[in-house]
Amino acid sequence: MLKNLAGLWRHRALAYVLVAREMKARYRGSVLGFFWSLLNPLLMLAVYAIVFAVIFTGRGPTTSPYALFLFSGLLPWNWLSSSLTDAAASLTTHGALLKKILFPAEVLPLVAVLAQGLHFVFALPVLLLGLVLGAFGTFGPSIPLGWPLVQAVPLFILEGVFVAGLGLLLAALTVHFRDVKDLLATALSLWFFATPVLYTLSDIKQERVRALLLLNPAAPFFDGWHDALFYARWIEPSRWGLLLAIACVSFFLGYALFDRLRDSYPEAV
Amino acid sequence: MTPAAPAVTAEGVSKSYRKWGRTRAFGTLKSALLGRSLAAALAPSEVVAALSDVSFTVARGETFGVVGPNGGGKSTLLKLVAGLFKPTSGRIAVHGKVSALIELGAGFHPEISGRENVVINGVMLGLTRREIEQKLPAIIAFSGLEDFIDEPVKTYSSGMYVRLGFAVAVHVDPDILVVDEVLAVGDEAFAHRCLDTIAEFSRRGKTIFFVSHSLALVEELCDRVLYLDHGRVKGLGDPREMLATYRLDVAAGEGARLATEHRKDQEILQASSPIEENPPSPDASRKQETQLPVEQLLEQKVPLGPDEKLRRWGNRDVTITGCRLLDSSGAERYAFRSGESMTIEISVAPRIATVDFVFGIGIFTPDEVCVHGCNTEIDGFLPERLDGPATVCMTLPRLELGTGTYLLDVAVHSRRETPYDYWRGACRFQVDSPDRDAGLYRPERRWAFAGAVSVSAR
Repeated sequence: MLKNLAGLWRHRALAYVLVAREMKARYRGSVLGFFWSLLNPLLMLAVYAIVFAVIFTGRGPTTSPYALFLFSGLLPWNWLSSSLTDAAASLTTHGALLKKILFPAEVLPLVAVLAQGLHFVFALPVLLLGLVLGAFGTFGPSIPLGWPLVQAVPLFILEGVFVAGLGLLLAALTVHFRDVKDLLATALSLWFFATPVLYTLSDIKQERVRALLLLNPAAPFFDGWHDALFYARWIEPSRWGLLLAIACVSFFLGYALFDRLRDSYPEAV
Repeated sequence: MTPAAPAVTAEGVSKSYRKWGRTRAFGTLKSALLGRSLAAALAPSEVVAALSDVSFTVARGETFGVVGPNGGGKSTLLKLVAGLFKPTSGRIAVHGKVSALIELGAGFHPEISGRENVVINGVMLGLTRREIEQKLPAIIAFSGLEDFIDEPVKTYSSGMYVRLGFAVAVHVDPDILVVDEVLAVGDEAFAHRCLDTIAEFSRRGKTIFFVSHSLALVEELCDRVLYLDHGRVKGLGDPREMLATYRLDVAAGEGARLATEHRKDQEILQASSPIEENPPSPDASRKQETQLPVEQLLEQKVPLGPDEKLRRWGNRDVTITGCRLLDSSGAERYAFRSGESMTIEISVAPRIATVDFVFGIGIFTPDEVCVHGCNTEIDGFLPERLDGPATVCMTLPRLELGTGTYLLDVAVHSRRETPYDYWRGACRFQVDSPDRDAGLYRPERRWAFAGAVSVSAR
């Protein structure tokens, strides 16, 4: 397994060109091209700003202005959910390739995670713009802005590793059980509500529910995103340790299963 | 890895595929979780052997051919050599970088340009990005797609697709080139370029693993040939010998099929009622020229249709009750090798005793070119009596026909050319030439060389 992991590093050029291909192919033929990566989150931000300023008003002070709070959790969530959807389907959609060219199959789910990660990165300037505007009180009460923003970089890497592990696991399972793809859509929407994207855990008053929600391995990541982006708070070292542990466990479990089933892919896809 | 190590070594390689049962096809994750354990769900319900106990070595620099019928295990073997599949048991060792021309252009993304796809494909096949950038001009030149290289490949024709794929694959500069039936695509000029490239590879001491249904190509290119049938090695060795064995097996199979068809055909035609008519389109003016009925017989161009009436006519004063082809041992057979003895056996039964009859045969190609026609009249036999069931045999001691399918017409008619029973395409048979000579006629031949010329036998 470790040998294969090392081999993966040698194939980084392949991952690079495949990610580039995904990006190029995605916007080929559209007039605005790459600008969609920026425009989409901008439009999304506008929609949320309007909806929560006009329709759903009257939330607690902890998550206000809500549009910004939501946005700082929603972008990393979209990365997670679209990565997992793409990664789960990656082996089966590229089945023809697996049957004909010898290359490490794990490149495919990882490329799915990376390509979606790139979209997330392209959306970050929009988020930053929103935060700067928020600091001047454009969306309601002004929010703090400061150095804790740089925590986005390690958070991005750790969430990437966490998602990559899940993606490998799902990709391997989908080859043998095609129903994973369908199940995943429902599971992701359940998971969305179980993860503090729309709310913060500190707002949950019932102790039991909060304890249950804390079991969710994704929860610390989104608490982290809120802290780093919305509240501009530093994350304590113990929480970083937890994030690192979750990311590593996810990746190694996912990779171990993927590696074990490796020989079956060219025949089963 | 010593320099002398063979390029490919296979020892007792077997590969079986899982054939999933009905439960597997429908119940999936649910059945695995609820019904049985996960392991049980993943266990095959039936195993199909694609390769059994295949052993061979391919020396460095050798061009190694694999032939055999569809389903013989060729593609599986190829995928094992390319490292895509793992053998179920046995061992396969490959020394050197393999580039597989299994499906050219696999992995091309339709939305992006040919140039970008070349880069991606090259990296997939194991080149670094710098290497591929260096080779890009050569690849594009080889593909001959300079004018289209920046268009998305979804606009390419299938031939262009394959050309670009081939161009990338050969520029990967592998130690072992695995070629699967890819040269059939692309135009003539490109096919030649591909063959030249493969020959060039061979000259540079690269190993080539070649799978093709084009036996002529295999014979031309390969040093040794492996003959696979039903996943087993049926032979390994000299190309001419292996291909001859393979051709003979194919002919035997074809012969068996023709024999079955022949029997069915005869049943249908026997059942059809006698027709008291003349041939559908006898050419009256031609009859004047030559009084021999066989000429008329051979010149009739009645299309072979599904309509049996067009295939058989006559007043049935004498009925052909059967027609068979026999080999030298007297066994019924419909596939022959050039030079073998073939006997045409015609069984007849007269309605009334007659003293006026001629038996004739005609051999045609499927596009109705007459290869040979003759009858007992031409060959100087005068009828004396026919007053009961009889059998007439005509033997060709040496069947001097080239490779192909032939149709046999048999007829019995009066000396004044009134057809009793004329049967077009009564038999269909297959001839296989052991050599690659061309044409319908395959005469015995001798060569002589005199003067400042010298040759040696292969």
